[in-house]
Amino acid sequence: MARYGMALDYKNCINCKACEVACKEENGILLGADAHRIWVGTGEIEGQYPLLDLTSNTFYPSQCQHCDDAPCEEVCPTHATYYDDNGVVRVDPDKCILCSYCMNACPYDARYVDDRTVTVDKCNFCTDTRLERGEVTTACQATCPTKVRIFGDLDDPESEISQVLRTRESRTLKSHLGTNPKLFYLL
Amino acid sequence: MNIKEFITTIPYNKVSVKDILSFERTPTNMLIAVMTLAFLAMFVVGVAIYLTHGHHAYGVTREHPWGLLIAVYIFFVVSSTGLCIVGSLGDVFGFKDYMEISKRAIFGSIVTILAGFAVIAFEIGHPVTMLIYNVISPGLTSAIWWMGTLYGIYLTFMIIEFVFLLKNDMKMARYFGLTGLLVGLAAHSNLGGVFGFLNARPISNGVFYPTYFILTAFITGIFLAYIMYGFRYKLKFGESATKMLTNLAKIQALLLSILIFFVTWKMLTDIYGGMPARSEVAIHILGSWTFWAEVILAMIIPLVIILVDMGKNVVGMFWASMSGMVGIMFMRYNLVHDTQLKPLQMLKKTEYQLAPQWIEYMPSSTEVMISLGGVGIAVFLYYVGTRLFNLDAEEHH
Repeated sequence: MARYGMALDYKNCINCKACEVACKEENGILLGADAHRIWVGTGEIEGQYPLLDLTSNTFYPSQCQHCDDAPCEEVCPTHATYYDDNGVVRVDPDKCILCSYCMNACPYDARYVDDRTVTVDKCNFCTDTRLERGEVTTACQATCPTKVRIFGDLDDPESEISQVLRTRESRTLKSHLGTNPKLFYLL
Repeated sequence: MNIKEFITTIPYNKVSVKDILSFERTPTNMLIAVMTLAFLAMFVVGVAIYLTHGHHAYGVTREHPWGLLIAVYIFFVVSSTGLCIVGSLGDVFGFKDYMEISKRAIFGSIVTILAGFAVIAFEIGHPVTMLIYNVISPGLTSAIWWMGTLYGIYLTFMIIEFVFLLKNDMKMARYFGLTGLLVGLAAHSNLGGVFGFLNARPISNGVFYPTYFILTAFITGIFLAYIMYGFRYKLKFGESATKMLTNLAKIQALLLSILIFFVTWKMLTDIYGGMPARSEVAIHILGSWTFWAEVILAMIIPLVIILVDMGKNVVGMFWASMSGMVGIMFMRYNLVHDTQLKPLQMLKKTEYQLAPQWIEYMPSSTEVMISLGGVGIAVFLYYVGTRLFNLDAEEHH
């Protein structure tokens, strides 16, 4: 069993949104669910010409953080949200009652309602698709032209993600909430 | 005595549909009857729209997943818990002055929670799945699980307590009443916990709501006691009713003062220090008219009416209780909406043309119809109950 995580070399992001498209294609996401499952946040350039603040024009790719201590899992009344054997936070649509508590409890705004199953859905690191086929990649990672994303097993010291996290500084989002996210932003 | 025999000994009035439809045709009664029927019709229409369009018929969004129906559900279960507390004063705690309202209040607690369940059934996306998986896959770390499960148990105890009250078996009524009260308080504080546990929402997170819910439940119960008694006696209260209501008004003055104290300190601690996602939200709340509707209708007006002559103006308190219940509805709406006011944003700047500072929400007509339908259900069930059962106190010797 693995403990999957993702490191994002986010400063390399060029906001091409190929990851958003690949995610939709791979996981069959409905049209209209834009920026729901995975998204690239864009910082608009601040300041007046010629005193423009170029550091504000940054792109922030993001998605479910696959927290080790996920608030969404804790608040679910029926265990519809659960950790699978690989530490991926997933939703069992058969058990989801759509009380929307997880949507309110997730600090990362990473959940949405899938109109086909009428249950809550989210990024699952392509577990149903690529991981099930035996690949250890996600669609967003595979498609990224600037290799922003590094996906792999955090428990395997030889995996690329483990090596990167050993050699480069990183941060996680809203760490003060004690969620222990498994998405790492490389500095 | 087996259960069948036990049930056959429950006293009730044999009434036909014709009896239920025959009431004094006063303008007030006619108005209430027409409104109740209209609300029930709205409920049917609202549910039909929901069943065909799902949550798209509601004003809820991904950013604001909880809407008016959650607020109305809370409104009803708060009413139920409050009536349970008021009903328990006499039959559980043995305060003789309050014995006369026990049966009526406990019956009120049953109809209000049934109305709450009727409303929430059309907010939860999969209520049948909920009934199944709540049992076979319980999420014990979830406040919603505890709240829902405990409320189910509470309803059972309330019904049993009511049956013993009808049979005038005060000893058994006390046992079941005390258990039901404790379960109800646990359920209700868990409902506060649903919000209190939201670490992602600093405005709601913390101990405040689980305790505040119990306080506001008691306040709501007293408002409803006044309203039920006002209709029962057509505002011409006898000596014992006046004595009880005056005492309740004094308790209410204390509770409202504590509530004002609580809310003031919540606002001060929220704003103090400028903590992100808490301070700015609290300041925004202070600028919203719904907050001031809550404060004026549910706190200031009733408190002033009581303090003018120390609760002796019982008729005035009936009207103040009407104002109070409208204010309590705003209170529930504010609680739900304010929790979700602050966008979590998460760097999703391009999701919006312009990043919103606040999440907007406007209840849809379907939500309003189902909500009013809940009121219709509560009023209708209560009215039928007044015909079916003797809700006045039995003479004790």
